[in-house]
Amino acid sequence: MKRLVESSSVEVAFREVDVVTTGTFGAMCSSGAIINVGHSDPPIKIEKAWINDVPICHPGAAVDLYIGATSMSKQQAFEYGGGHVIEDLVVGKEVELRATAYGTDCYPRTQVKTRLTKDDLNQFHLLNFRNCYQRYNCAVNGRDETIYTYMGKLLPRLRNATFSGAGELNPLMNDPDYETIGIGTRIFLGGAQGYVIGEGTQHDPQNRFGTIMVRGDAKKMNPEFLRGAAFTRYGTTLYVGLGIPIPILNEGLAEKTAIRDEEIFTNVVDYGIPRKSRPALAKVSYKELKSGAITVNDQRIRVSSLSSLKTARKIAGTLKSWITQGEFFLTAPVEHLSVDSVFKPMRQTEETSFVANVMQDAVMCSESEAVKVVAERIVTRSVNHIVVIDDNGKLAGIVTSWDITRALAQGKKALGDIVTRRVITAKLNEPLETASKRMAQHNISALPVIDNEKKVLGIVTAEDVSKLLGR
Amino acid sequence: MVRILLRFSENVVEKPIISEIILELKVPINIITAHVDSKGGEVLAEVPDEALQKVIKAFRKQGATASIPKLIEIDDEKCISCGACLTLCPVEAITMDEGASVVFNQEKCLGSTCSACVDACPSRVIKSVKQNRSELVANNAG
Repeated sequence: MKRLVESSSVEVAFREVDVVTTGTFGAMCSSGAIINVGHSDPPIKIEKAWINDVPICHPGAAVDLYIGATSMSKQQAFEYGGGHVIEDLVVGKEVELRATAYGTDCYPRTQVKTRLTKDDLNQFHLLNFRNCYQRYNCAVNGRDETIYTYMGKLLPRLRNATFSGAGELNPLMNDPDYETIGIGTRIFLGGAQGYVIGEGTQHDPQNRFGTIMVRGDAKKMNPEFLRGAAFTRYGTTLYVGLGIPIPILNEGLAEKTAIRDEEIFTNVVDYGIPRKSRPALAKVSYKELKSGAITVNDQRIRVSSLSSLKTARKIAGTLKSWITQGEFFLTAPVEHLSVDSVFKPMRQTEETSFVANVMQDAVMCSESEAVKVVAERIVTRSVNHIVVIDDNGKLAGIVTSWDITRALAQGKKALGDIVTRRVITAKLNEPLETASKRMAQHNISALPVIDNEKKVLGIVTAEDVSKLLGR
Repeated sequence: MVRILLRFSENVVEKPIISEIILELKVPINIITAHVDSKGGEVLAEVPDEALQKVIKAFRKQGATASIPKLIEIDDEKCISCGACLTLCPVEAITMDEGASVVFNQEKCLGSTCSACVDACPSRVIKSVKQNRSELVANNAG
């Protein structure tokens, strides 16, 4: 379609093309499977359950369970989780179910342990409440240390970037007004046929962050398009393969499905900022993202994908062959996806503490001052940390009362010899929890608070944090 | 050439061991990566196949440890070609071809001394694998 519209015209493309197939294969955390394991004898009303040591939800009656993709094994946390359980079942592997209950008159049993394959399950339905994001942020890390996120491993100081999504191949991007997608749309899901059952959670159509909720018979699925995955220090998830056929009902759809990667933009976002709202550092197109490098503030950053374009293409191709061979029939949606839903933040009724809430004025000195002078300041101001600044008020280092004591004992006079120059810092709008975690991680008891220009704004100490928590 | 991993403890890190061995054995030693400070050092180096045994012996005699580093392997069967590993490789040994498949160049790879890609793989198909030295020498000869 894209080539046809470019080489001929929208009218020609509308006449020539009946259906455009799309595809995406990425980590979709809000996925899972509903299973019914059948009744034991004597019967049990399951209260808590585990499959292969992964905690399973028990949202309904006696033996209906939900395997959430992000639920993690106790023994192999961060490595094996619900996504892997689903994959193992799809492959045909036997899994171990363990369950406990409080026991009732009608369901007397209090524990059960058994081994099951997908053939032993009455139902095994993939039931994903948010899939197929229309587009997604490009992630970087502005901090001084490597961070591990759901957007993968991000190197310090913007040394790499990651993105997710198939761009011009994404299903919702090809029908951005959801003219053909809605409840009842038959789709490719995990290698089998599935259905859209409504808008996904956090559906945000006005910002082009639409999502869908889907369901499909997992017994018929193929592990090539449904894979458990593990993101280091984030957790486990499920890679879901999903494709939607877009019938070209009008010229408008011919034009919309001709969308190119260079027309799809997303923001480069600093995941090093531990807040909900992270400022956009730059705007980039999916064409740039797929090229392997982007430019942010004149800095060239290597970028890589987290979703598989190779498998996305295969999904669109497979769906095309199903349709041409008469194995897959398109459906008209019973109800269209909403085009005006709003994605609201959480209403918070309790206050959260930020660094700004506990920050105090920092006691400071310049590097040219003598050790003895700084020692006196520690006594008169009764603090343990002195922040060293340069002539412009910018952070140059830190000295602790311990450093000073040792310097005096060893007869050192110049402050320059004892200053710690690699200072671990905090930002004003950072949650107190992350700042206090950083102190514990580096085994230190204070963090100078600085702005983006490294100007010292104050200091937050472990003592202040514990005072606040003890309140 | 064969890659060897040399480790120098705090006690021997001050000595010019590599230079001495190059001079003594008259063998070229190519340093690939090196991390050295007063507490010790770790150097990944390449030596000619035929000199492997005597070079290793010479380093051990000087109080350094010398071993064949583990190799990084990507299980092509299980790799989904997401590309999450690409930007973490400091020597661009992992690339993506036109068909969007991940391609791994093991000769460029720094091996287990780097391992930056290992914990970035969501499918957990990147592993450090111990090399069989005789097989390695045979492979190089062939």
